[in-house]
Amino acid sequence: MIEALVGFVAIFVLALLRMPLSFSMGLVGFVGIGLTRGWDPALASTAQVVYETGFAYTLSVIPLFILMGNFVARAGLAHELFAAAEAFVGHFRGGLAHATVAACAGFGAICGSSIATAATMGKVAYPSMKKLGYSDTLSSGVIAAGGTLGIMIPPSTIMVIYGIITETNIGKLFAAGVIPGILTALLMMAAIAYMTYKDPEQAPAGRRSTWAERWAALRGIWGVALLVVVVLGGIYGGLFTATEGAGFGAAGAFLFALARRRLTWSILTQVLVESARTTAMLFTLLIAATIFANFVNFTTMPGDLKDWITHLSLSPVMLITAMMLVYIVLGTVMEELTMVLLTIPLFFPIVTSLGFDPVWFGVLIVMIVQIGLISPPVGMNMFVLNALLPNVGLSKIYKGCWPFVLVMAFVLGLLIAFPQISLWLPSLMN
Amino acid sequence: MKKLLETVCGLLSGAALFAIMALTFFDVGGRKLLDHSIPGSLELTELLMVVVIFASLPLVSLRGEHVVFDSFDSYLHPLVRRSQGILIHLLCSAVMLTLGFLMWKTGAQFDINGDITAQLQIAKSPFIYGMAVMCGLTGLVHLGLIVAPAPELAEGEGVAL
Repeated sequence: MIEALVGFVAIFVLALLRMPLSFSMGLVGFVGIGLTRGWDPALASTAQVVYETGFAYTLSVIPLFILMGNFVARAGLAHELFAAAEAFVGHFRGGLAHATVAACAGFGAICGSSIATAATMGKVAYPSMKKLGYSDTLSSGVIAAGGTLGIMIPPSTIMVIYGIITETNIGKLFAAGVIPGILTALLMMAAIAYMTYKDPEQAPAGRRSTWAERWAALRGIWGVALLVVVVLGGIYGGLFTATEGAGFGAAGAFLFALARRRLTWSILTQVLVESARTTAMLFTLLIAATIFANFVNFTTMPGDLKDWITHLSLSPVMLITAMMLVYIVLGTVMEELTMVLLTIPLFFPIVTSLGFDPVWFGVLIVMIVQIGLISPPVGMNMFVLNALLPNVGLSKIYKGCWPFVLVMAFVLGLLIAFPQISLWLPSLMN
Repeated sequence: MKKLLETVCGLLSGAALFAIMALTFFDVGGRKLLDHSIPGSLELTELLMVVVIFASLPLVSLRGEHVVFDSFDSYLHPLVRRSQGILIHLLCSAVMLTLGFLMWKTGAQFDINGDITAQLQIAKSPFIYGMAVMCGLTGLVHLGLIVAPAPELAEGEGVAL
């Protein structure tokens, strides 16, 4: 128990010194194994982890989904999605904010990254909202929060990572995210409706589109629809594995970008190299987290924690709630990927030993990450928007995000209280 | 030097990633539609994954795209940050050079055992030597970063969530 605790403290000290997290985790895990089991086993197991993580067919799902998201972001499909949503709801009070949420949800179905969704929609939706006289607070909050739908609505990078480190079925995780994602989007829209009802000034209504314009706008999104149906439909329907679906999706998104003349050689290489770099960054984290988890599993910590929790005699649901509260607090100041990779080796065995479904816990983790991405002061989505919209300012973005943090915390409560929201859809898969 | 590294590593990893995409697409498409898959596509994907990950590793370090806690940066004196940077890059460099050495030894072991892939019988050791070289290069990049620190990243660049 003590060895593992020392390990955690060492990681935090190194990380606070600004050592990259992957290096801190890997180094501490390696030294930990070396001190407790001997240096030869430490060297051998490290080489094995590096080798096995490198040569892994199933892990190719990670770069392929990242690549698909990056191609889709470059293909300009976001414009059409927003235009279609605007055509239907633009004439309501706060209509463009509703349209932004809907377009983010649609974009989330072809992109697995919250930050890419927020950045892409920011470029498309913010100028329209600004032109109509929306307040910066509302528009930036809506974009930051809507962007997080990118990781709940499949595909989702964080679900893939969770699936890999906990050996949970990625297809089932994807299916489990659909209803919570749509529910979150609907509740965000309800919050927008309430806020704009209270203060109509901040979100004036736009022009009503004719039905002819609406059909024309709908025809513009056939590309997105096709990708969603083929990739996600294929994975749920059992036609593809997640890896095969990702490969198909990436190639499809590439062909779209090509057909729409959005790809030059320089953009193509940029997209490819950027995706490769993100992949390498994630794999160093995966390798390091595995080395560290190997060390922690050698110690008595997982067993001791389980004993301690049985002694506490809390009800399992109370325990999960307590865990989620810890996560929400951590998420306000920590980078979310770090938080997940550091805590999963500890929390996951406890969760499964209590008899909970790993798929359900995965959805809770994604929700936690969503909240963390927009809860001040530290949240990547807010920082990205701040960089993208320098005239708005972080304080307005913070203010705009709070209502949506509350909405998501409420959804998290619903997901804990009613596991069927997440588990019904995956239960239909065989 | 930096330009050369960026070009070579970028080309290697980008081309490998494109190849994985094309391979998966044609393999799956062929299997589902024409009942004819590409022989050894799984193995090729595995070998290409090694190239994608390890060839772009020096670039991740070069651009400072690893996940770090930087929330306190604005509170620190520039001199403290500078010395902190030197210490951390030395440590990172030591980690990567050691890992490079370890993987080189592993590669030699594979060489002696004559490990090959099951279907296409491609020798694995060159890929493990490649891993070792790229880890070593990443270590050197960290040494270089002591002299010339990575420029500040634009917000959201290189993040995965």
